[in-house]
Amino acid sequence: MSARSGHIADITLLLGSAVILAALLAWISDSTRERIYRNEQAWIQQRLDALVPPRSHDNDLLTDRIEVTAPEILGIAGPITIHRARQAGQPVAAILRTVAPDGYQGPIELLVAIAYDGKLIGVQVIRHRETPGLGDAFENRDRGWLERFRGRSLADPPQQRWSVRPDGGDFDAFTGATITPRAIVKATRRALEYYQANRERIFAAEAPQ
Amino acid sequence: MNMQATAIGQQNRQVLLVLALCPALAVSDTTVNALGLGAAALLASVVACAAASCLRRLPGQVQWPIGVLVLTATIGATSLWLDAWLHELQRALGIFLPLLVANAAIQLRTQQCAGLAPPAAAMLGIRTGGTMALVLLTLAVARELVGRGSILHDAGRLLGDTAGTIDLQLFRADMGFLLAMLPPGAFISLGLLLAARNWFETRHLHEQEQDR
Repeated sequence: MSARSGHIADITLLLGSAVILAALLAWISDSTRERIYRNEQAWIQQRLDALVPPRSHDNDLLTDRIEVTAPEILGIAGPITIHRARQAGQPVAAILRTVAPDGYQGPIELLVAIAYDGKLIGVQVIRHRETPGLGDAFENRDRGWLERFRGRSLADPPQQRWSVRPDGGDFDAFTGATITPRAIVKATRRALEYYQANRERIFAAEAPQ
Repeated sequence: MNMQATAIGQQNRQVLLVLALCPALAVSDTTVNALGLGAAALLASVVACAAASCLRRLPGQVQWPIGVLVLTATIGATSLWLDAWLHELQRALGIFLPLLVANAAIQLRTQQCAGLAPPAAAMLGIRTGGTMALVLLTLAVARELVGRGSILHDAGRLLGDTAGTIDLQLFRADMGFLLAMLPPGAFISLGLLLAARNWFETRHLHEQEQDR
């Protein structure tokens, strides 16, 4: 009988402390949620502003966005976010937050900014786990590499040369790393293809609120 | 027989400590990351020791689960707090912050802390966690210096604008000595550090013997 009441005391103690700690964590989570959300937004805003200068549009990129799913063109199963830049209601550019699924060490998250006429404004890598010193050359040794996308479009270079040089394309690979640039070039081309096929729909769709 | 068992036991604890260091080693590539994880490790260590000491009067079966609960809650809260105030640092530490629970749980289990009064146990926690933070920091400074030629690389991005100017580029390495930055570099540096420690210890012993 006493062994049993001992067990009950133990269980109460364990449950009690679990409930107290869970309540504490819930409170902390609740009080930091808004700030964490703002951090996340600021983080994306900073990268969007670096690609599409704030003076070139007058709408809020963060809220003027849609989510689309197109596994057959983009090559990724999940939805991607598209931010839209407008000036006085006229479309200026679309920024696709896409993913190159075939990086050397997992997916590479990209921002691909495309002007309304279909020319690339720029490409930025926002998250990656490529090998330091080799695959991440775009942020160290070969900083200008991503710049080479500026002004390109689906017609320039022609479609069959929209790949890295080792595959017969027009884009240089890094010394000692071909897989990373190949993945980025491919994802960029796919983003352009999606844009070309869906341009009007991208800008017409209502932003979900 | 008894001596052998003790020797194995002691060796095991050292092996455990080295194993527990492994996840931490992954973030010892820059000084700022090491500082962040070191501080979190210090906190976890103090909490683990204090918890072990405070919970010693509780019945044996619930001591361990409640201790683990307290630890995970502490790390969870730390992670949220970092996410809110030092967003980029939290991102850089990634999965290695939650993994600290495993390190600290080893301390929770040792009898050392449970035998002490809470303040003394907390002091022991500070010593243990402080040592770990120091090891991480030493490794990180060495690796960053060799691999990048800088100290406090990216401090501005990771710690907020106030720290923006303390980023020191000593020479242009440009990832020249890449090995130091890659995971094997962490193990090589740790090996060198342990070797240096052993060398000091044997030399010290030697001097003591000579004094006699």
